[in-house]
Amino acid sequence: MSAILASLAVLLGGAVLTAMLSQRPRLGLLIAMLSILGGSLLCLAAALPCLVHTSAAQSIVLAWPLPLGEARLALDGLSAWFLATIALLSSAVAIYAWEYLQAELGKEPVPALGAFLCVLVAALILVVTASDVALFLLGWELMMLASFFLVAFHHRQPEVRRAAWIYLVANHLGTALFVFPLFGILAAKAGGIDFQTFQAALRNSDQGTTTVLFLLGLLGFGTKAGFMPMHIWLPVAHPAAPTPVSALLSGVVIKVGIYGLLRLLGWLPALSVSCALVMLVFAMVSGVLGVLYALAQHDIKRLLAYHSVENIGIIGLGIGMGMLGHSLGQPALVALGYGGALLHVLNHALFKGLLFLSAGAVIHATGTGDIERLGGLARKTPVNAALFLLAAVSICGLPPFNGFVSEWILYGSLFSGTWVGSRSAAWVAAMGVLSLALMGGLALACFAKVFGVVFLGEPRERAIRVHPTPALMRVGMLIPAALCLGIGVWPTVFVPLTAGGVRTVAGLDAGEVSQRIRSVLSPVGHLTLLAAVLLTSIVALGGIKRLLLRRPGAALAAPVVTWGCGFAQPTGRMQYTASSFAWSLIHSFRSVLWPHRKIAAPAGPFAVHAALESHVPDMAEHDFFAPLLRGVSRAFRMIRNVSWTGEPVLPAPSRDDGARVGPMRVLITGVATALRQGRIQLYMGFIVLTLLVVFFVESLSPRESAAPPARPAARGIEGTSK
Amino acid sequence: MSVTRVIAAIPEAAAVIALPPLLLSIVVKTKAWFAGRVGPPWLQPYLDLYKLMNKGVVYSKTTTWVFRAGPIVNLAALLTAATLVPVLSSGSLFGFAGDVILVAYLFALGRMFTVLAALDTGSSFEGMGASREVTFGTMSEPALFLSLIVLAIGSKSLQLSEMVGSQLFAAWGTVGPAMLLVVGALLIVLLTETCRVPVDDPATHLELTMIHEVMVLDHSGPDFAYITYGAALKFLLLGSILLHAAFPHPGWPLWIDAPLRLIELVGLATVVGAIECSMARLRLNRVPLLLAGATVLGALAAVLTLTGSMR
Repeated sequence: MSAILASLAVLLGGAVLTAMLSQRPRLGLLIAMLSILGGSLLCLAAALPCLVHTSAAQSIVLAWPLPLGEARLALDGLSAWFLATIALLSSAVAIYAWEYLQAELGKEPVPALGAFLCVLVAALILVVTASDVALFLLGWELMMLASFFLVAFHHRQPEVRRAAWIYLVANHLGTALFVFPLFGILAAKAGGIDFQTFQAALRNSDQGTTTVLFLLGLLGFGTKAGFMPMHIWLPVAHPAAPTPVSALLSGVVIKVGIYGLLRLLGWLPALSVSCALVMLVFAMVSGVLGVLYALAQHDIKRLLAYHSVENIGIIGLGIGMGMLGHSLGQPALVALGYGGALLHVLNHALFKGLLFLSAGAVIHATGTGDIERLGGLARKTPVNAALFLLAAVSICGLPPFNGFVSEWILYGSLFSGTWVGSRSAAWVAAMGVLSLALMGGLALACFAKVFGVVFLGEPRERAIRVHPTPALMRVGMLIPAALCLGIGVWPTVFVPLTAGGVRTVAGLDAGEVSQRIRSVLSPVGHLTLLAAVLLTSIVALGGIKRLLLRRPGAALAAPVVTWGCGFAQPTGRMQYTASSFAWSLIHSFRSVLWPHRKIAAPAGPFAVHAALESHVPDMAEHDFFAPLLRGVSRAFRMIRNVSWTGEPVLPAPSRDDGARVGPMRVLITGVATALRQGRIQLYMGFIVLTLLVVFFVESLSPRESAAPPARPAARGIEGTSK
Repeated sequence: MSVTRVIAAIPEAAAVIALPPLLLSIVVKTKAWFAGRVGPPWLQPYLDLYKLMNKGVVYSKTTTWVFRAGPIVNLAALLTAATLVPVLSSGSLFGFAGDVILVAYLFALGRMFTVLAALDTGSSFEGMGASREVTFGTMSEPALFLSLIVLAIGSKSLQLSEMVGSQLFAAWGTVGPAMLLVVGALLIVLLTETCRVPVDDPATHLELTMIHEVMVLDHSGPDFAYITYGAALKFLLLGSILLHAAFPHPGWPLWIDAPLRLIELVGLATVVGAIECSMARLRLNRVPLLLAGATVLGALAAVLTLTGSMR
């Protein structure tokens, strides 16, 4: 535990020091990155023993004179798993960012970025180790504010400012509307804000309360995690942020939403089957629509952001199966579902982090993230291409990489759900198998598109000059790459580490978890054997080919141009584009996606110009939130202007038709305009006035003086003030 | 698995490795018989492979190591899958609970690298073929997994050799109609994945109408031998899954089991050849409808099984 405190101290100290060194940006950046690296290593040192021994939760209480009592930190299997995920990715990002941000030195406020990165990592650590409501929400808020400033790094571009703003508003709406009420109810039930008391307090709650709590958690934490349709901030914020930030946002920040959901599920008693079905439906919709939208994107980071939505859907499938198993009393489903979901949390952090870092290296090398303009990068930046391919194969869930291991476990839970559960559960589990299979196929199509168009073939624009990838950026990317292959080839080492998390969420101990998994799937060691078979066959076939080509008479012919039906002078512009590659799939799913396509067809015998543009707008953004928020803003305008139409009652104090306005309306409008002077002193006066009125009313209230214990009142304040 | 089991599996493994080109030969012979021709010699596919292995290779200036790795990874993935699929006997070499998912994803791994190798050439034709391949591959996935759900519910197992093992006898008795639909869905998946009429025509000579063949236009020599052999092996593996699901054997000894399976495989190849002679390939925009049809078959089978298995 002290290692976690030390790491928080290192990170916050680093942040302060970096912020003070704004005149020496290079040194500041170095200090920031070193403190992130040090903090991450300290966290790993704290988390690994907890994961390996699956020991009981350790906790520490700091008796700080905070307004809401002492600060409690605790480390159990679930916290340790997320802590390890955060630490692994942040250390890779820190090494990468040191080189990546060199280009920004002198142009942008790099030390501020470094300081906020430190704060972000500290906030993440705080959120997953906090053991009371106040500290959790403090970390939660700190995380959101830090990432807001990080997203707004290139703040001179209007679209970046808009993205940061959407990020802030969407996440605060989710927090204010769902997370605060959730913790309010929890604190009211438990009579305190300590996480340890929640489970006992909820043991005997009725089905209605637990369902409400679960739905609040799903919507509130789901906004952070990016379940559809609350995902709209994700594809906007990720491309706007600088690459190390996008990697952290997608790799770990959205996972904190999953952490919150799992933490809540650990407190709740067995939920009804319908809650699990709601979770599974959310997950399936997020997964399939996420990857379909990803397929339609042309901007590499935006595409990866939609893939985060897909992968959150895959994690949600596991959580849903775990919940289903819990409510049906099927420990096998619980172990497989939660175990697979937890493993996928780590896996997604690794390969998505690597994909973002590699995409950042593409943008660093070429200056653009528009995949239609790129091509042929595999020959210019071979190492980066290999790393991207490794991550792409992992995210498609293909063997022998880590994505396959977690999807394999999830398939196990879904398949066994079709024969152990009730009929409705079997239906949804079968749908889950179907959607996971569809996601796998679509993800393959999508990453074949990205890798094929960006790295293979010929450059599409000759004018783009390619810079090599600096060495330290490659080192930073090698950490997640090695783990992707490691988990895929030796899952025996990594899969048992999820047992502590499963125990925290579902109360199964480690021996039971592995025993239950074994009732459906063979021990993961079999995957090692088959990975060995696969790799041996690759080496053997490669060796045979080499031997055949080494023989005399079988000489390698001189390289020629690609076969083009006899056309001998192909250019980069003649290649298949990303839009064309994806179009046949998008067209097949047109009833879901509603793609827009603008075609300027070539006309006449000597056509000079032809163009094709395809564009898939996000349904949740354009058809759900935009009308909703327009309605809300109209309602606010109505309040502000005291009128039903939303337009000002008196557009201007016009003199000639003043007689037609009745005295009541003049009075109301007059008061309204008098109150809205735009002077901050006046508004502060209003706040003071309101507070005075509140205190006055409360001192008058007879109930207050009659109520003997102070505890319920204090609880009420705690419940509402956070 | 013990050493003796591995040794006992060697003759079967040798047979599995030797068989695939023969199936191609049977398809070609059937087509020739329908057209009233004699057709090429029976061993022609083997001779073609031998010829290709002895040739040099030509690489385009555009290509990278991905192009060279494509055929190798594809064939390696299929060979790995071959250790998990029951072909002649009712067991598999390295089978384990959950291997069915690995088999499906090994096919996907092979597809990924074939597609990437095609995109590596920078040719529009190959890009087009790659796009079609991922489209139809994605669309056949739901049909395949729905069929697997039916088989998994029938056997309460995720090991392929058990899912299509002798207990399917019982499944044919209780949910026979569902099994019939599964066989239909698997047949369409087989024709799609192995690029056969009515989805793709391996004998076409126009690049614009090809799917699989256009993706491998630039491969030559040993690379192309790997690809040809890989396609035949994929046909053998998917065909075996189909046959084991369609004709479950109730635990006969190997000397009856294996020759019977061989006869069934020959029959399957003949049926595929007959399909190629009796119908034209579909227009490209009709193929998704066929695959949707396969998905519906699979969904109907799953519905029948789910309502049948739950009380």
